[in-house]
Amino acid sequence: MNSEIGDPAGAALERATTLTDDLRLDAVRRWKEAHPGSLAIGILPVYAPRPLLEALGCLAVGVQGGGDQLDIIRGDSYFQSYICHIPRSVVELGLDGGLDPLDGMIFPSTCDVIRNLGGMWRLLFPDRYTAYLDLPQNFDPALGGRFYAGELRRIAGEIHGRGALPLDRDALREAIRRENTRRAALAEMDDMRRREPSRVPASEAYRVARAGSVLSAEEHTALIREYLAGARERRVRAYDNVRVVVLGAFCEQPPVGLIRTLEKAGCDLVDDDFQLGFKTVSGPIPLSREEAGDAGGGALDADDPVDALAIAFLKWGAPTATRYIGADEKGRDLVERVRKVKADGVVFAAASFCDPALLDQPMLEKALDEAGIPHTGFKYSENSAQHQTIREQAGAFSDAVKLWGGAP
Amino acid sequence: MSMDVPVSLTAGVDVGSSGVKVAVVRSRGGEEAEILAVVAQRIRRRDLSEVVESAWQEGLAAAGVGDPESLDYVATTGEADSVAFRTGHFYSMTTHARGCALLAPGASGVLDVGALHARAIRILPGGRVAAHRMTSQCASGTGQFLENIARYLGVPQEDVGRLSKEESRAPETVSSICAVLAETDVINMVSRGIGPPDILKGIHASIAGRLVQLVRAIGVEGSVLVTGGLSRDEGLLACLAEAAEAGPKRKRLAVAHSPLEFLSHPQAIHAGAIGAALLGSYRREQLRRSGRLDMLMTG
Repeated sequence: MNSEIGDPAGAALERATTLTDDLRLDAVRRWKEAHPGSLAIGILPVYAPRPLLEALGCLAVGVQGGGDQLDIIRGDSYFQSYICHIPRSVVELGLDGGLDPLDGMIFPSTCDVIRNLGGMWRLLFPDRYTAYLDLPQNFDPALGGRFYAGELRRIAGEIHGRGALPLDRDALREAIRRENTRRAALAEMDDMRRREPSRVPASEAYRVARAGSVLSAEEHTALIREYLAGARERRVRAYDNVRVVVLGAFCEQPPVGLIRTLEKAGCDLVDDDFQLGFKTVSGPIPLSREEAGDAGGGALDADDPVDALAIAFLKWGAPTATRYIGADEKGRDLVERVRKVKADGVVFAAASFCDPALLDQPMLEKALDEAGIPHTGFKYSENSAQHQTIREQAGAFSDAVKLWGGAP
Repeated sequence: MSMDVPVSLTAGVDVGSSGVKVAVVRSRGGEEAEILAVVAQRIRRRDLSEVVESAWQEGLAAAGVGDPESLDYVATTGEADSVAFRTGHFYSMTTHARGCALLAPGASGVLDVGALHARAIRILPGGRVAAHRMTSQCASGTGQFLENIARYLGVPQEDVGRLSKEESRAPETVSSICAVLAETDVINMVSRGIGPPDILKGIHASIAGRLVQLVRAIGVEGSVLVTGGLSRDEGLLACLAEAAEAGPKRKRLAVAHSPLEFLSHPQAIHAGAIGAALLGSYRREQLRRSGRLDMLMTG
């Protein structure tokens, strides 16, 4: 299914595609024209709490590199050859003026490369606001929780100092509500593609989710709902495909062509960690002590929405590669996830040189082997143009799982 | 396959880069197969969806299938996007291997030579893939390249094999690595007055040498069925036999090598579509046995 004439979801998908391909951030420029004096703040993958920025009157903008649409000329000279591709394209976009609409950037503690990129950015653009967000790896509310809430307040104060609104509890609560609504819509889209993958193919869901990188939560929710309403109207056939979970592509995003390659190889992608920032926290963010229960541990108070953001990250953070928890827990979670979405196998798709993904992979493979779940794996780069080898591998995997019940 | 496996009517649609092939097969879970019809249509510059539809209708008519809903499984291979009416999809390597098991039951390998790629596959009895290797991305050594050369030489496509096999006296050597260099070679030959039969034979010999290396690289021994668009090219088949006989060119590789025999079959060009139809039947039976046939219902 695509944005062909007569497709009830075509208009929404077309808009999502335009926004996904919007390397010059035209949508952000338009938003700033419509909101004079408001700031747009970029967020590098994987996660920073968007409601905090929205509460400050800012547009949270997901910065995800140049994908396969950008020639890297200067970006390569800033980084060694044995690291991933996203920092090169972010520097290229920055030097090229593509990220000029952004008044600031937040670099979360995803990995050393993103940390170094933040330092590089500060040197290249000393006049623009740059923050490093240290996401806690200690999940005790009294330690990691207090530290994290303090970090969020510090960043809010610094952005206010650059001209944003002051942090206001009611505004933050409203922003969290809007974020929860957006994530409920994303969850609904995921549910639909799990039930009927041909109605909502992963390559489309990816575009619709990613479009939220340059939209407010409210606008993104409207887009998702428009797309879903159209998708429900489609006349589709169910195909006898293999259901797979794709894992490892949470930071540097794969080109859409690669996702299509997996689909063309006979795979229905029923779960993935693309656009992980929107689902780093599982379920809604609590808005009161009642909703949070005892998750605050007496150290954090969910009636304070900043504390609520911290509680959500600590207690309902997904066990991803950027979270330092036991390998057993991640492996267990993956096996449960595969069973929950009724997947036939797992495809590990990691960006080349992505340490967090590639370090986790052997432990996850072991968990899958023990559970008898077939898997395969490959590496990609955001600017990969040739996918024949991956198609070969995915096709062989799909056939082997479908026909013979295991990996080739 | 025992008699308790019901007879199924399945179709395979192989959408390649230059042609669409359709096969309709009656079998019991892919065994005891009877090929009811095979058709092929060239894409040329036509709209792909129209070619698929046209080949599909021709295949159904040739098989005497009045109602496509009576088909138990429609399996695609190659580019499936243009076949919205498919039930499922199989990768071309898997389908060529399965098609080979039917067309040449004793073969231990398949050499699929298509318009843009060539692929060697080592198969297990029954047609499962044991190993495979593809040519690199360069188009030299494939059908499209050969078709371009024939056009430059003003030779009709259907005459290429015969001219190469029967009329060549002193074949010229052609670069086997790069299509651009090979085309330059050909231009030089034409300007030197070399005749089309010797040029074509040189190209066939060059392609064949490379393909034999590909087959040997995955440890295939014995007979190999040539499938894909070039499976009917008698000039290529003759050169494959010569290359297999000659053995490795470089002396340091001249260790003992097992004999290879390249087989042809009148339906080898349809191997992918036939294999897809057989695997569709196998898959349907698999789903029937596990009580999951409902997943093939239209959504």
